[in-house]
Amino acid sequence: MRETAGYLPDIGEEFKKKVLLFSEKEEVVEVEIPLLTEEQMSKVIRKVKKASAETLKSFSVMELVNIIDQVIDRLLDRNKPCRQKAEKLLSIVTGYSEELIRLGLTSYLKNFRKHELQRFLIEDLGNHSLLDEFQPRVKGGFSKAVGPNLITHVWSGNVPGLPLWSFISGLLVKAGNIGKVSSAEPLFAGWFARLLVEVEPRLSDCFAVVWWKGGDEERERSLFKQTDVVIGYGGNESLQSIQSRIPVTTRFLPFGHKISFGVVSNSSLDSHKAWHSARQAALDVTRYDQQGCYSPHLFYVQDGGNISPREFARYMAHELDNFEKRFPRRNLSMEESASLASWRQREEIDIFSNPHKEVLGNAANDWTVVYEEDAISFSPSCLNRVIRVIAFKRIEDIIPSIAPNRSFLQTVGIATSPKELFHWAELLGKIGVTRITALGNMTSPEAGWHHDGRFNLLDLVHMVDIESSAEEESERFAPYVD
Amino acid sequence: MKQQQEIIESTLQFIQNQLSSEDDFNEQALQLFSYQYQYNLPYRTFCMQKGKTPRMVKTWSDIPAVPINAFKEVTLSCADPEKAEAIFMTSGTTKGIKGKHYHPTLHIYDLSMTLNFKQRFMKNTEKIRMGVLFPTEKELPNSSLAHYLALGMQKFGTEDSHYLINDNGVDIDRLLEELSNSEETGEPYALVGASFSFVHMLEKLKGMGKTFSLPKGSKILDTGGFKNQSKELELDEFYQLLSSFLGVDRVDCINMYGITELSTQFYDNGNTIVPSVKSGPRWIRTRVINPLTGEEVPKGERGVLVHCDLANFNSVTTILTEDVGIEVDHGFLLLGRVEGTQAKGCSVAVEEFLKATKEIPK
Repeated sequence: MRETAGYLPDIGEEFKKKVLLFSEKEEVVEVEIPLLTEEQMSKVIRKVKKASAETLKSFSVMELVNIIDQVIDRLLDRNKPCRQKAEKLLSIVTGYSEELIRLGLTSYLKNFRKHELQRFLIEDLGNHSLLDEFQPRVKGGFSKAVGPNLITHVWSGNVPGLPLWSFISGLLVKAGNIGKVSSAEPLFAGWFARLLVEVEPRLSDCFAVVWWKGGDEERERSLFKQTDVVIGYGGNESLQSIQSRIPVTTRFLPFGHKISFGVVSNSSLDSHKAWHSARQAALDVTRYDQQGCYSPHLFYVQDGGNISPREFARYMAHELDNFEKRFPRRNLSMEESASLASWRQREEIDIFSNPHKEVLGNAANDWTVVYEEDAISFSPSCLNRVIRVIAFKRIEDIIPSIAPNRSFLQTVGIATSPKELFHWAELLGKIGVTRITALGNMTSPEAGWHHDGRFNLLDLVHMVDIESSAEEESERFAPYVD
Repeated sequence: MKQQQEIIESTLQFIQNQLSSEDDFNEQALQLFSYQYQYNLPYRTFCMQKGKTPRMVKTWSDIPAVPINAFKEVTLSCADPEKAEAIFMTSGTTKGIKGKHYHPTLHIYDLSMTLNFKQRFMKNTEKIRMGVLFPTEKELPNSSLAHYLALGMQKFGTEDSHYLINDNGVDIDRLLEELSNSEETGEPYALVGASFSFVHMLEKLKGMGKTFSLPKGSKILDTGGFKNQSKELELDEFYQLLSSFLGVDRVDCINMYGITELSTQFYDNGNTIVPSVKSGPRWIRTRVINPLTGEEVPKGERGVLVHCDLANFNSVTTILTEDVGIEVDHGFLLLGRVEGTQAKGCSVAVEEFLKATKEIPK
C-alpha cells in the first residue's frame, strides 16, 4: 500500500520524494513524503505568506469555523473513505490497535466541531469578532487581534491527530501555516490540509505540510527567520536545539514532554465506587499506551477507604488485563521490550528489600502494576502499560516529592469529593499542575483547554489597540465636524 | 562447608571432562540450581516469585535467569561474601552502585578461563610474548578483566611479556619498542587488552604515521567495547585499522565477549566478517529470548541473550543480559547493548527525566 503524506501549494515544480516504511503484522504501508530543496521551501514560504495576507485574512473567523466544521464532519463519519483510510493506516503506522484509533479519533475530533471551536474562541478572546475587525473595549478605545503571517509547527510523536490542536488554532487566527510532521505519524496533518482545500479551494495556498530530517540546521534557521511564531513539540533537548535557531524577533512556543498522574481519595474508595474508578484509571493507562503528555505515569491512592490502596492496585491490574483483550497493546520494538522487561525485573528485585511492595503482571508482560507504600517517590514509568500505584495518607505527604518536577507536570486525573477537589486543586496548581480532570478523561482534554496552562489563540496573536484619545481626536477632523 | 566443597569438585570435574553430553550438562546445571536455590537466599526468593522451585525445573533452560542489574541490588552468593577470595565489580553503575560478583575461590574461574583461552586464542602455541593494554590486577583489584589478562599473561606469556599502560594511558614508547622488536626478530607477538585502549593506540600510531608488519603467528585480542572511553568506531573500521596498522590478519584479531557476572568467556574465530560469530566452551550455553515473554525467539531473529554458565557455581548459573543478539549456526551474533528508548509520543521518557532531575537543585 502506498500513501502520499504532506500537502503543498502549487509552485509549479516537482518535488523529490522520500519513502518511509511502516509495517504492522504482515501489513506494510509505504508513505511517500515530499522532500523540498531549500529553494523550493523558500518559494512555498512566500506563497503561503502571500495567501495568508490576501486570502485567509479576507475570511471572517466564523467562515473559517464553518469550513473546519465541515472537514471534521467528514472525518467523524465512519462511512466516508477518508475516515476509513485514517482508521486503517494510522493503526499500521503507529501500531495502536484499530479499535483504539477509532475510539480515540472520534473523541478527539469532536473537540473541533463548530460549537467546540466557538468555545475555543470565547475562551481566549471573549468576543470572536476581535479577529475580524476592531471591537470596542470596556475601558474605551478599540482593539483587534491580528494573527501572524506565518506560523511554523514542528510536530512530534506518534499520537494520531495531535497536530490538529496547533494547526486549527493557527487557522482560526488566520495565519499561514507550515507544519513539519513527525516520521512516527506523518499522515494525519496532510489529510486534514487536503480536506480543507476540498471544502474551500480558495485556501489551497494558505498552508503547507512538509517533512525534513530534524536538526537540519540551515533549513531550520532560514525557515524560522521568515516565521512569526514557531510552535515546537518534543523533548527538551530537541526543543533546545530548535530554540537555538530562532531569531529573537520570532516568538517560540515550546511544548515539552510531560508527566501526568492520578490522585485517588479515600472518599471515592467504597466497595461500590472503587471498581469504577479503577476501571477509568486503567482506561487512561491503556489509551495510546501512555504515550500522550496527559497519560498517567503513576497513581497516588489514599489510605483509609473501604478499599485499600493495595486492593485498588489489584483492581487496576484486573481491569488492565480485561482491556488488553479488547485493545491489545501495540507491538513493541526490541529496545522498548527490553527496557520494559528490565524495569519490571528491577521492581521485582526491589521486593527483596521492600516486602510491602507488590508487582502484578501477566506472563507476557502485556501490562504491569507495581504497588508501593512508604516510598513516596515521584518517578516516571517506562510506559507501554506500566503503572505504579503508591499509597499515601495525606496529600501534604506527597506534594513535596512532586513539586521539584514542576516543569514536567501537566494533567492530574482525580477522584474525590467536591470539597477536597478544590482543596487539592489549589495545592496541585501551586506546584505546576495545569489540568485537573476526572479519571477516564485524562487523554481527552476538553475543547478550549489551556494546553500546558497556556492559551491556544491568545499566544498566537498580537493585539492592535486604538486608544480612545485617537478616536476622540479624530472627531475633530471629520468632514462633518461642526 | 561440605556442600560447597562437593559442588566445587563436581564443577571442576565437569569442566575438565571433554566428553560431557547434553544430559551431563543438564544434570550439572540442575544440581547447581538446587544448590544455589538452597544457599543463595535472594535467589530463592526470586525463584519462588517466578514459581520455579527445583521440583518444577526440569531442564537447564527452565532455570530462572537473573537480570544482571540484580548484582547491583542484592548479594548473590551461596558462600559467606565476607570470605570471598575475589569480588569482581562491574564498571557500569546504577545510582553509583556497582554490581558485585563474589568468588569464594578463583580456582574454577581460572580453570574455565585458561582451558578456553588456550583453545580459542593460543591454539597450537604454548607461550607467546604478550603486551597487555590494560592496568594490572594490583591497580584494579576488583576488575575481572584485570584478573583475566594477568592470568593470561602468567599462563601463556613468555617472560618478556609486559604491561603497556602507564599513568598517561597507553605507554607508547614501550609499545613501539615491543612492536619493532617483534618485527625485527620475527618473534610472534600478542597484543591483548581493552578495545578502547586499542583505539587510543591507533590514534597515537596514526599521529606518528607509524605502521608495523608483525610476523606470522602474531595475534590480537580485544574486549569490552568502547564504553564511552574512546571514540566509537564501527567494528569493520576498527578491525581494518588494527589489521593495517599492525599487519595482523583480521582472522587473527579475536574479540572476547565477557561480563563480570559470568566466570566463562566467549570468543570468535577472527573478525574477517563482522559481526563475528561468538561461542563459548561446553560448560556454557546461550539462549536468545524475547524479553517480554522470556521465551526463545526463532533462530535468526533478534532477542536478548541469556547465558547459563556452569562455572558460576557460587552466584547463579543463569543470567539475563542487556545484550542483543541473534542465534546462528555455531553460536550467536552480538549486536550490542540495548540502549534506552526515546519517547514515542509526548510523554516523558525515563532517560530524559533522569537527565533533567540531575539538573534540579535539591
